[in-house]
Amino acid sequence: MRRYMVRRLAQAAGVLWAAYTVSFLVLDFLPGDPVSAMAAGGLQTGQVDQAQLAALQHQYGFDQPVLLQYGEYLGRAVRGDFGDSVTTGRPVAATIAAALPQTFQLTGAAILLAVLIGGGLAVVATITRLRWLRQVLLSLSPLAISVPAFWVGLVLVQLLSFRARIFPAFGDNGVRGLVLPAVTLALPAGALIAQVLGKSLLSTLNEAYVETARAKGAGRVRVHLRHALPNAALPALTVVGLLVGQLLANAVVVETVFARNGLGRVIATAVTVQDLPVVQGVVVFGALVFVLVNLFVDLVYPLLDRRIVVGGRRGLA
Amino acid sequence: MNGPMVAETRPAAWEPVRRRPADWGRLCRFLGRRPGLVLSIAMVGLVALAAFRPGLLTARDPLLGVPSEMFRPPSGQHWFGTDELGRDLYTRVVYGAALSLKATLIALAVAFVVGGGLGSVAGFIGRWVEDLVMRVVDVLLAIPALFLSLALVTALGHGTAEIAVAVGVASVAGFARVMRAEVLRVRQAVYVEAAHSSGVRWYTVLGRHVLPNAAGPVIALAALDFGAAILAVSSLSFLGYGAPPPAPEWGAIISSGRNYLANAWWLSTLPGLTVTALTLAANRIARALDGEWGTQR
Amino acid sequence: MFVLAVRFNLARWALAAGVTAVTVLAGGCSSGNGDAAGSPGGAGRSGGTLTFAVGTDAGCVDPQQAGSSDTVYALRQTVDSLTDQDPATGKIVPWLAQSWEIGADASTFTFHLRPGATFSDGTPVNAQVVKDNFDAIPKLGALAIQATGYLSGYVGTTVVDDLTAKVAFTGPNAQFLQATTTSSLGLVAASSVAKTPQQRCSDGVIGSGPFVLSGYRPNQSITLVKRAGYAWGSSLWTKPGEAYLDSLVFKVVPEAGVRTGSLVSGQVDAIGRVGRADEAALRAAGVGLQAYTIPGVGYNLGFNNARPIVHDAAVRQAIMVAVDRRQIVDTVFPSGTQPATSVLARTTPGYRDLASAVTFDAARARSLLDSAGWAAGGDGIREKSGTRLSLTVVWFANAATYQPAVELIQQQLKAAGVELVLKELQVAQFPQLLKSGDFDAMWGGNYSRADPDSLRTLYSTRLGNAYRLPVTRLDTLLAQQEAEPDAARRQDLVGEAQELIVRDAYVIPVVDQQTELGVSPRVHDLTFAVSGDIQLHDAWKR
Repeated sequence: MRRYMVRRLAQAAGVLWAAYTVSFLVLDFLPGDPVSAMAAGGLQTGQVDQAQLAALQHQYGFDQPVLLQYGEYLGRAVRGDFGDSVTTGRPVAATIAAALPQTFQLTGAAILLAVLIGGGLAVVATITRLRWLRQVLLSLSPLAISVPAFWVGLVLVQLLSFRARIFPAFGDNGVRGLVLPAVTLALPAGALIAQVLGKSLLSTLNEAYVETARAKGAGRVRVHLRHALPNAALPALTVVGLLVGQLLANAVVVETVFARNGLGRVIATAVTVQDLPVVQGVVVFGALVFVLVNLFVDLVYPLLDRRIVVGGRRGLA
Repeated sequence: MNGPMVAETRPAAWEPVRRRPADWGRLCRFLGRRPGLVLSIAMVGLVALAAFRPGLLTARDPLLGVPSEMFRPPSGQHWFGTDELGRDLYTRVVYGAALSLKATLIALAVAFVVGGGLGSVAGFIGRWVEDLVMRVVDVLLAIPALFLSLALVTALGHGTAEIAVAVGVASVAGFARVMRAEVLRVRQAVYVEAAHSSGVRWYTVLGRHVLPNAAGPVIALAALDFGAAILAVSSLSFLGYGAPPPAPEWGAIISSGRNYLANAWWLSTLPGLTVTALTLAANRIARALDGEWGTQR
Repeated sequence: MFVLAVRFNLARWALAAGVTAVTVLAGGCSSGNGDAAGSPGGAGRSGGTLTFAVGTDAGCVDPQQAGSSDTVYALRQTVDSLTDQDPATGKIVPWLAQSWEIGADASTFTFHLRPGATFSDGTPVNAQVVKDNFDAIPKLGALAIQATGYLSGYVGTTVVDDLTAKVAFTGPNAQFLQATTTSSLGLVAASSVAKTPQQRCSDGVIGSGPFVLSGYRPNQSITLVKRAGYAWGSSLWTKPGEAYLDSLVFKVVPEAGVRTGSLVSGQVDAIGRVGRADEAALRAAGVGLQAYTIPGVGYNLGFNNARPIVHDAAVRQAIMVAVDRRQIVDTVFPSGTQPATSVLARTTPGYRDLASAVTFDAARARSLLDSAGWAAGGDGIREKSGTRLSLTVVWFANAATYQPAVELIQQQLKAAGVELVLKELQVAQFPQLLKSGDFDAMWGGNYSRADPDSLRTLYSTRLGNAYRLPVTRLDTLLAQQEAEPDAARRQDLVGEAQELIVRDAYVIPVVDQQTELGVSPRVHDLTFAVSGDIQLHDAWKR
């Protein structure tokens, strides 16, 4: 078990290092002169003279060979220093840290909603004896996955903010302001949960111990919730990684729609003005979250489910 | 939005496609029991028509507005209403199909060719090449797909083709995985072993035996990925990284409609509905291709 | 985003090239005041929070450095100026300075401060702090380009006594007095002066204004609270003492439609940058619309006159009459916006009406192009010896009106056989664009200043010359008007300069720059200052 953990940790570190390298390569191959772009990209820098340009070149280390730059940058990145934003001058790490609470609130609320919606959907769809209800419920997931998140957001704003005037349309106005963006974000996530959990529930219901419970005279609902659900929920854990990736991605769009100043909006703005350090910082941070979540799942999962062959490869990322 | 996601949540009842001769009666029965599928095929057909022969669906010009007719709500005259310059929104959506479909197809092509290539090389050669490729794939999978696309857009710049490539590259990893698995499976098949031992050159084996037999699941994955690619492309376009205005890219139309949410609901709502309908249709067809057709009796 | 940054960058770049300005003062004219105007001072109700939605955050909360009007709306409330300017008459009136004397050659200015004014940290507003401020401003650097521009030629400030400060310049600086009305030269406490420009930007400054900065969240909001015991307001204000409102919240809401919807549904009390599209929804909700025509150079299509195609005067002149300004105004801009009739807005001193030249005449456009040898090609776009009449137009993504405006111009020019290729840029890319000159035409080019010297700032070849104008008699005229003390003669010189610019069509004036606010019927007495800023000391909410 310990060897498995060490191996998994090393693997995670390796993946992170590589993610940093990939983002470094992608952004280093930027067409044109990155420093000019950055210098001009600074909203406050105004006209850039040659001396200033050279100073910037030096500051960002672009006057050094690529390999040396890379080494230096990597060294700093390990210590959490991704340099300064070209547009605001603030350190990238601080920019990310400032945006994080917003994104955590949003994604946290969305996960909660998604589990409720998705879990509820899966349970009701598998428990019901009404064929039509099951059909309707099962068709909701593909629908929710097919709707663009930004569009859902816009429709919600029009209906529940402008027309019905129940929720604010933008910003971070406490819990009420969180409702619309969280719902927007939770719909596709809930659909994912419903799909996986529904499938898992169906197969669990056919297993021997469930049959046994039934034979012992446990009620239908009781069998479903007490015996099948806990076991069916375990495999659903494996999509947590996917879920986090999906949430982060949709957060970019949802935060833009609702003008929330989270991580997603930070990267969307940075891409528009070619703020390389910020883009790289957020991309690597995204990978870090992703890797940590997967690591956590991988380490916790065997503890929860002894049936898993330690060290074995699972199908999911 | 995430390519591999769709691929990995396909029905558990997945079975390899069994090839049978064309059977029209069976096809009719199959479709007759699935009105949703028929509707989906019609939708995709309509969008394809719009992409290649927009003139058949509308007689108007997507770029030419009549300013005095701005902000007309949907009506018999203007099915989707008109925008801030009096351009017919339906016409813009029809012409936008070409841009959005083009971007989606480029994205899939990139994912298919690069991912498929990497996967087959890894699976066929094995050894350290396989290790290397699969580590790269792991890394790509560790970066949230949209973030990877955003980094690529930063590097490549803005434009329809640029966002298409960015979306495509972000789904390379998923394709590489599936392709490798398939190549590994086929490589062990008896006829491939036989070809090898009878001295056929490796590239002939790869090209004539391995790839054709491994491609099926990858094509199925491409079909499943189609809907996800539409969403990813329109998201990037929505964020403003697509073609310059007044190009009628779907995401861009929806995005510019945001400025008029308060006075012209149709500007963002109806194009969004179109994207939703197409994605839904694509996913429905992919599901049918992937499992239902093969398992139907 | 960062709407006015374009204008200020342009100014920065020109000023960096060494502008000293002579100024004639004038008030703007305000039009279309809604319900919000009206009730005289004293009728107001104290208390409450006013929430104002703006489109952008420029990332800096130092009034001496901030350039974007969206940010200045908020920061203007936190600092007091030495003087104020009456929008109705253009007259300079007392604020922190009770009186002042201008030296004989307008190179020295002596201000007599009112006693008793303090900064929110308790330190007094005195002659020493005036000196500290003015001494520090030239060192603020690139971001404070307006403030440093106003102080160009600054020699120093003498503290005559505790409440008397004498400011000296190397030569005549007739624009300085008006500049002391701006928030760019608003006074901040000594402790703020001592900070670095960067710190001031991110932390804000301590001012003496009727409101105090209490919170700044980048790209999210600026929060101000009422300054208790405030008693040194501008002589123009109606309410004595403290402001009515307890607090002000300026929220950043990028989408125009969301700003409008939020105002209509009562989530905010006032919004900036109202476009034509929003007006109907706002009026229907009983929202007051307040518009103000900003003096200076309005929105135009400016050519890179060195580019081969637009080097041809006939092409430029054809475009001048191929643009249907009335249609653009009626389709895109808020009602009350005027089509341009000169390169200067109507409300600018020295403006000359050139409506007969700045007009729409499709037939003339066609004949100009025909006789210059541009013949219609297969797809309707003209060609001349294998060259397509195709121009790349760049603009900056900062106001909801810009894109429809250029798209409409594109459509109008297509009818004349001229193709425009649109390229949206980010404000961030502006300096680079000016340096590279990589554009055939640039939308915008607006510059807010109640003085015709703005023409020299933008179009003199001796300054930055963004539009790559050739050296002509225009340069002489622009230099002469700067040095001309006689108002009438200056008027003639400026008038002739406008005629030359329009005749040669170096830039195509399109509309006068107008700003429009939407104000909830609950809010009263929210007024414009002369430069287009707002004044919230007298504003109150029911």
